[in-house]
Amino acid sequence: MFRSKKTMSVTIFLIFLITISIIKNKTRLLEKEIYELSKKIAIKEKELNDIELDFYYLTSPVIIEKKIENLNYNNYSPMEYSKIFLDIENFMNIHNKLTILKNQYEKEIKNN
Amino acid sequence: MRKKSKTIKDSNQSSFYFEDYLETNKKNKFAKKTNIFLDRIYLLFFSFFCLILIFSIKIIYISSNEIETFNQENESSKFVLLRRDIVDRNGILISRNVKSFDVAINPKLIKDKNNFLLKIRLNFPSLSINEIEKKLNKNQWFYLKRRIDQSEREKLWALGEKGIIFEHIQARMYTHGNLFSHIIGQVDYDNYGVSGLEKYFDKELKDKKLLKKPIKLTLDSNVQYIINKELNEALRIFKATGGGALLMDVKTGDIISLVSLPNFNINKREEIKYINKITKGVYELGSVFKTFTVAIALDYNLVTPQSEIKDIPRKLKCSSHEISDIKEFPTNLSVENILIRSSNIGTLLVARKIGEKKFKKFIDDTNLLKSPEIQLEEVGNPINFNWNKCKLETVSFGHGITTTPLQVASIYAALVNGGKLIKPNLIKNNQTKNYKRIISEKTSQNITNILRKVVTDKKGTASLADVHGYNVGGKTGTSQNYKDKNDNLNTFISVFPTQEPKYTLLVMLQNPQVAKNLIYNYRGLKVKGTRNEAGWNSVYVAGKIIEKIGPILAINNEEFTNHVAEKIN
Repeated sequence: MFRSKKTMSVTIFLIFLITISIIKNKTRLLEKEIYELSKKIAIKEKELNDIELDFYYLTSPVIIEKKIENLNYNNYSPMEYSKIFLDIENFMNIHNKLTILKNQYEKEIKNN
Repeated sequence: MRKKSKTIKDSNQSSFYFEDYLETNKKNKFAKKTNIFLDRIYLLFFSFFCLILIFSIKIIYISSNEIETFNQENESSKFVLLRRDIVDRNGILISRNVKSFDVAINPKLIKDKNNFLLKIRLNFPSLSINEIEKKLNKNQWFYLKRRIDQSEREKLWALGEKGIIFEHIQARMYTHGNLFSHIIGQVDYDNYGVSGLEKYFDKELKDKKLLKKPIKLTLDSNVQYIINKELNEALRIFKATGGGALLMDVKTGDIISLVSLPNFNINKREEIKYINKITKGVYELGSVFKTFTVAIALDYNLVTPQSEIKDIPRKLKCSSHEISDIKEFPTNLSVENILIRSSNIGTLLVARKIGEKKFKKFIDDTNLLKSPEIQLEEVGNPINFNWNKCKLETVSFGHGITTTPLQVASIYAALVNGGKLIKPNLIKNNQTKNYKRIISEKTSQNITNILRKVVTDKKGTASLADVHGYNVGGKTGTSQNYKDKNDNLNTFISVFPTQEPKYTLLVMLQNPQVAKNLIYNYRGLKVKGTRNEAGWNSVYVAGKIIEKIGPILAINNEEFTNHVAEKIN
């Protein structure tokens, strides 16, 4: 009986030992992972902080106005409103109308 | 039988008592041994239980605690703000803390000082080498440069000197440079606010619980930029020495823009001599006070806007002072015409009807002679004022009395918002609900109508501010500095849209000159300016500002949209 109790207690001891070491190891890994992640988050947060600052600086009215002044307007020729078509159908309709008008005009010239 | 067996059993044992003792002892020993064994098991169980409990608690602690707890070791990668951000009413960043470095030198660790100086000269030509040399020779620790950026740090790092020490610090950055210089203020190297909002809200800005929540202002960066630009342009055109502008919501007291020129770049730490002309500057603001005189008279039912003041003299002697008008006016003028044409003597006669007691009450009610209440450290103290002989007469048209432009603008807001005296406010959602009434709603309506006529009437002094679609009203004021008579101050306080006033805009120019080359669009005519009056400079600037900020202020603003749409259609 004494022996069986001894065996039992050793078994329990071992089970607990293994359990504890597993839990401890898991905790350590978890902690390590959290640490790594928090480090990454901190770096990202810092980057975001700096980027936000750059964004607000670059989009401040003073800088935007300077950028506009530096743009070469010749590169951007204005487009006539009549030449802007919303879709192909829109284009075809206007094109047809123009052809009809053109034909009518030509006919009028011939008749005269 | 029982007896027999007992005797047989008894004959085998030496002593009954001894036998019993031995057996009991044996049993006790075994029981004791078992107890010890059980105790050990319990102890073991208890130890394991404790260990499991410790780790369980740790897991719970890890999962429930904030990330920062586990990041304390790596200070270089962690960035915990020391001050809160400051943003404008649209959430646009105005001020933020960033990671920076101070560079210090420990001369004892520098082996070749000449070589070090040469390297510094090559990499940082802007630094004074002579001064650095002196400090190096003293052999005492000193700062080489403060608030350096990453590229400068890398340059210094590349020098490979042991004596160069980098200190991690947090520097305050202002994304808009000098745009908000007189409002935001600055912080010192230790992140303590030394001026402006940074000083006023120093405690709130450092509140650790609210570090991630920015302080939201009522200011609008875009409107501020436009006003700042237009005012700078005005200073150039009219060769003015300084200027100021203030845009305020008449119902809430929210300050949307506050500009004071000259200003400075708050990212640089320099000794600054400029003051905030709107909150700290104390001036005699001249004819803008005439509106107050007329408002008091109307409020006490002493006159109506149409009441005629008869036999207005050209000149009038009051004590030793001779009071006159710059222009010649008809001898009979209605009260509203007195304000429209800005007659000094007409206003004086109205003030005499009011009397000193009522006028004094108005000045006390409006706190005109006290420091303005605003969330800034830089506030002016009006010069001591005594109700001497002839004071009522001079005060009626804004002479002999000093105050800050901020207070006058606040009173104008009250005159057109239905009579409620609002408190100027720089913090979003911080309005007080209990307003003091200084005039009745009827008087407020009458004053608004007269102010509109100052702009639209042919004889009005502010025609250049009649911006299409915004129904601008206002009053001009041309005055001299109480300290220096050669110092002119031209002011225009406008309110718009007058059908339901929403904003008041004050524009102030110091020592403007006649802009001879400027062509004005005066009631559809192209004319050149010849007079150095507020109507020809401050009003012109206000018109330009309203024209540009109008569309921004009109966003999501029904009354504006409808009004503009009505005009367009």
